[in-house]
Amino acid sequence: MIEVEHLTKRYGAFTAVSDISFKGEPGEILGFLGPNGAGKTTTMRILTGYMPPTEGTARIAGYDVFHQSIDVRRHVGYLPETVPLYPDMTVGGYVRYIADLRGVKEAASRVDDVLKTVGMYERRHSLIRNISKGMRQRVGLAQAIVHDPEVLILDEPTIGLDPLQTLEVRDLVRGLGKNHTILFSTHILSEAEQVCDRVIIIDRGHIVAMDAPQVLRERLQQGGRLFVRVGGVTPEAARKGLAAVTGVASAEPYNDGYVVTVSGLIDVRARIASSVVGAGWQLLELRPLAMSLEDIFLELTTRPGSDGSVKQIQPKKKDKVRA
Amino acid sequence: MRSLWIIFRRELAQYFTSPIAYLVAFAVLVLGGFVFNNDLAARNGGRAPTDGSVILTYFAYFTLFFAPLLTMRLMAEEHREGTIELLMTLPVRDGDIVLGKFLGAWGYFSIILALTLVYQILLIWLSPPDLGKVISAYFGVWLYGGASIAVGLLFSALTENQIVAAFLSTASLVLLWLADLVGKLIDNRPFAELVRTFSFQSHYLYSFAVGLVRLNDLVFFVGAITIMLFVTTRLVESRRWR
Repeated sequence: MIEVEHLTKRYGAFTAVSDISFKGEPGEILGFLGPNGAGKTTTMRILTGYMPPTEGTARIAGYDVFHQSIDVRRHVGYLPETVPLYPDMTVGGYVRYIADLRGVKEAASRVDDVLKTVGMYERRHSLIRNISKGMRQRVGLAQAIVHDPEVLILDEPTIGLDPLQTLEVRDLVRGLGKNHTILFSTHILSEAEQVCDRVIIIDRGHIVAMDAPQVLRERLQQGGRLFVRVGGVTPEAARKGLAAVTGVASAEPYNDGYVVTVSGLIDVRARIASSVVGAGWQLLELRPLAMSLEDIFLELTTRPGSDGSVKQIQPKKKDKVRA
Repeated sequence: MRSLWIIFRRELAQYFTSPIAYLVAFAVLVLGGFVFNNDLAARNGGRAPTDGSVILTYFAYFTLFFAPLLTMRLMAEEHREGTIELLMTLPVRDGDIVLGKFLGAWGYFSIILALTLVYQILLIWLSPPDLGKVISAYFGVWLYGGASIAVGLLFSALTENQIVAAFLSTASLVLLWLADLVGKLIDNRPFAELVRTFSFQSHYLYSFAVGLVRLNDLVFFVGAITIMLFVTTRLVESRRWR
């Protein structure tokens, strides 16, 4: 449904998006994650035919975004970051206007259906200037789905909403994801974790990671860090003992135990357990330090000199240097 | 064609929900009424023949100042509100957006112009003027109004700021209206002649307003509209490349 190949966009000397490639399958919700200015909006604008790419190609529903722009636009529903509303129109009139411009058949009943879907049917006669921000967001969403597009591109649809409205919009997106391909940008990580089938993490124009949110988390935990608590030994000896285990990069005191950093994508739990017991100490606790998507995100996007070619996750900067 | 019609309909309807549009119509009618009465009185209580085109000449002057008020928001507001991003990702050609907006504004201009017909009815009732001249003057003002609106639309596409758009349009329209006087200030003869041909005033006052419908004036206004709309479309398109 969405095929992006080596897409690059430059604004003069500044490269907003650099050689990114990804695919979106039918019925998939793709989370597009990155800090502000990472290139999310630029990518989305290219995919919707708003601006052409500098290099590379992108296809939506089989149509090229540059050469078959009008066909692409027919198959895409787009909610830009600033919700594009006309304050002087009524909710119903606005959605009807967009439906007409999109050539929707039986527009009147379709507009009513869509307004019911987003929960704005009761407010259809209100002027857009008089409704709340959350409602505007929902009207924007109604506009994006009115022609029942195969691909839905939503640029930060939950930004600026209160927690309840955020939940509502997420539910709505999840519901739509059953029969639409959705590309959904956000910088709220828990949101991507809850809503998306697959997460693409983008930073400074590069894709730094791309996988299902659970997989991303597991990969990091496999290596990652372990929390170990031992008894019957002096703290300094315990620290040295743990650091000496094969595959352990370092051991640092943490609360009443130690955080063991593992080098590489290996499972060292068995080795730690046997060496602790072998030394005659007591193993009181051994568990992976859970990393949220938040940690992954920070780790991937704050890495100095990130070159963006990384698609396999490397758990630690140090490991990359050693490898 | 379908999307052109939908955009035209919305733009025209927009004027009827906007206080500025009503205020413009109100101001033009008040000024028109004043000019009309003044003209009638000057004609010595009906002893001199009435002239239906006088009110239209004043209407042409008013257009210099009110046409920009009708056009300033057309593109500038789309940019300010961010709705341009939606419009440009709909399956609608950029040219249809520009043409639809132009026709909507010209449509509202035509409605205001039609309101002045009340003075012609009064004249016909008092002492019938030369109707051929009146019809030609209406046609001329209508074309000239279209050209003025096309100029305003172009400036609206140039800036996000409506006030700036309105001011630049008015300045350009005054300059274009008086281009024959500007030409008189220029020493270089061929260049002066060229500048003079751009004068909106000389393509209206000396032809349509006296009952002459000449092909060159017709081509001038239609050509001006076409060129302005073409440039505006290019300006809108160029946003994609920035």
